[in-house]
Amino acid sequence: MSLSEKSDEEISKLLAEYGIKHGPIVDSTRKLYERKLEVAMENAPVEPSSDKTYYREEAEEITYITYSPVRQESDVLKRRGNIEPDEDEESDQETEAPVQIANRTANHSAVRSRELDRKSGGSVWKVIRLLLLAVLAAALYYAYCRVLKNEENPFNIQ
Amino acid sequence: MSSTSQKHKDFVAEPMGEKPVGALAGIGDALGGRLEEKGFDKAYVVLGQFLVLKKDEELFRDWLKDTCRANVKQQGDCYGCLKEWCDAFL
Repeated sequence: MSLSEKSDEEISKLLAEYGIKHGPIVDSTRKLYERKLEVAMENAPVEPSSDKTYYREEAEEITYITYSPVRQESDVLKRRGNIEPDEDEESDQETEAPVQIANRTANHSAVRSRELDRKSGGSVWKVIRLLLLAVLAAALYYAYCRVLKNEENPFNIQ
Repeated sequence: MSSTSQKHKDFVAEPMGEKPVGALAGIGDALGGRLEEKGFDKAYVVLGQFLVLKKDEELFRDWLKDTCRANVKQQGDCYGCLKEWCDAFL
């Protein structure tokens, strides 16, 4: 809808929204205010009262849910297998796993956000990430308990 | 602040009555002609516009620029002239 089709009241409301000080909208002032609104709209294209708010986080978190989680789950399983036998290497591998997962999500989202239009898959991906973190925490706790068990035996023998 | 012109002093010295738009400071022959074409043939009509714009400097300057293509100096002279007249007589 062009500005000239709006009513005087609507023009007055728009001027207030953009913070433009103004007087009454009369014949001799109408064109001036329309021009001022056009300039203001060019500088700030998103209307302040619009319901469509655009969150940058959502755009950057776009990923394909289809294959990437499957790959990461198999990687987590491999890490779990490596954790059990070695004591010293545990901490390194455990810290590696979450870091690698975080890097992958960043890479995926960086690539995808450039290629794709904005979609709302971000919330689903967040849930999957939370689940993976929970699984990882459980694995760590399990491994920790086993380490404690292994450490107790040498002390008891003494 | 630059000193005001003789035209300015003459205008703010008395009620404007039926003075033509060319009597306003900053409004010469060219600008006066353009304003008259748009219907602003008397100083009091421009005063009316000044008041409808709530005596706001930026709005009035923008309006002058749009209506008669006044430059920055001319805008400032006309605004100052009308403002001082209003302070004295309105």
